Amino acid sequence: MNNLKVLVVDDDPVTLVLLDKKVRRAGYEVKTAKNGVEAIDCLSKQHYDVVVTDLMMPGGVDGIGVLEAVKEKSSQTEVILITAYASVDTAIKAMKKGASDYLQKPINFDELILRLEKISTMKSLVKNASDLRDAMDVTESHAAETIQELELLVSTLEEKVAQASEILTRKGIDPPTRVNIALDVLNTT
Amino acid sequence: MVKIAPEELKTIAKYIHDICGIDYDHSKAYLFETRLGPLLEEEGFKSYLDLYHKAKRDPKKDLEKRIIDAISTNETLFFRDTAPFELIQHKILPDLIDLRSAKSSGILSIPVNIWSAACSTGQEVYSIAIVLKELLPDAKKYRIKLLGTDISDAAVAQASYGKYNKFEIERGLDRDKLQRYFSPNGDTWKIKDEIRAMATFRKLNLMLPFNGLGKFDIVLCRNVAIYFSQEDRKKLFERIANILAPDGYLIIGSTETLTGVCPRFVPKRHMRSIFYQLKTD
Repeated sequence: MNNLKVLVVDDDPVTLVLLDKKVRRAGYEVKTAKNGVEAIDCLSKQHYDVVVTDLMMPGGVDGIGVLEAVKEKSSQTEVILITAYASVDTAIKAMKKGASDYLQKPINFDELILRLEKISTMKSLVKNASDLRDAMDVTESHAAETIQELELLVSTLEEKVAQASEILTRKGIDPPTRVNIALDVLNTT
Repeated sequence: MVKIAPEELKTIAKYIHDICGIDYDHSKAYLFETRLGPLLEEEGFKSYLDLYHKAKRDPKKDLEKRIIDAISTNETLFFRDTAPFELIQHKILPDLIDLRSAKSSGILSIPVNIWSAACSTGQEVYSIAIVLKELLPDAKKYRIKLLGTDISDAAVAQASYGKYNKFEIERGLDRDKLQRYFSPNGDTWKIKDEIRAMATFRKLNLMLPFNGLGKFDIVLCRNVAIYFSQEDRKKLFERIANILAPDGYLIIGSTETLTGVCPRFVPKRHMRSIFYQLKTD
């Protein structure tokens, strides 16, 4: 599964073009946003698997704002923050808020692609596990139906057998009558 | 991964059975390898027998606890297969409360005792707590005891803490319940105090006598006896029969059966689920 939908957000036009090119070349679907406000607009229109965003951006919505908007919308979307050396502390705080990773500037694109590959692998494992669970649920519910039917049937039959044997051993009724009553009990549905 | 030698299998299988009752037959060597292999490597043991001897000699039983954590299956989710929770909500609790209210004459609070016998990381217990919360808004009228037990210390610790990662939380919970009963904390979610406070958790080995547990109105023992031998299953359900109130309810896993296991229980159907009650004769 290599078709992750990636949203890249950076206010620096040169970085944004580079990000777009490198991520696209790695085989992922890319959409770009020039700032936090535009990113939030993109997020409202479409689901993204990964958002790669600069931490410091002008215009009211910074990387943390983007992260919060992402988490508000879907916990399935992973966020990678791009941060200057000085704001590593902020990046770590962001990870506590649910960002999955951060990269320091200047961006090492090989590193970014590796992180995306890891996310892609993780997502396919999660998908795999959830498919398996679905399959197990179907099997389990079929099995449950059969087993429960049988459980009730056995219980009813046991009850009949108990009644029949009680009748067969009852004193004071002649044997042929006992057999007939017992048969009646066994034959009732 | 360190391979388990054929001559080790018997000793390890018996040891696992002794400490937690799990009955892995000898054909399941891979289960020991995938589950205990990482522990072996972590602790630097050369063989499974080394691990076994060290665990046997450890008076604090730390290694034994870690072996139990590793070998036991913690597959669980919120509202696992929904039917039992609907059963509790729509049939068992209303019936039980009717019966108990008649007895309590309206002055005393009504006791409701529920036990989840293999609660794993707590999802089943919190699912029941949520059902209780929604069904019985006037909590003061009831004296609810909701107990969750498990063989694994790690599972009991997580259950007590009530914190779940995003994969655990998304299984079985709708958005509405999630928002109402959990608080977000980064990528994890923690059960809210009002729900947490309804439950108690403790470690319990289902193979040992249930001393001091008390009597229960509802017992859930789902998908755990499947790991036990038929002999151990019989003993387990016999003990459960002894701690169940005479008009109490037992719920087992949807693919489990008590036929040939415990003749004291009789199956009853409600809608699409089955529950068990003690035979009255």
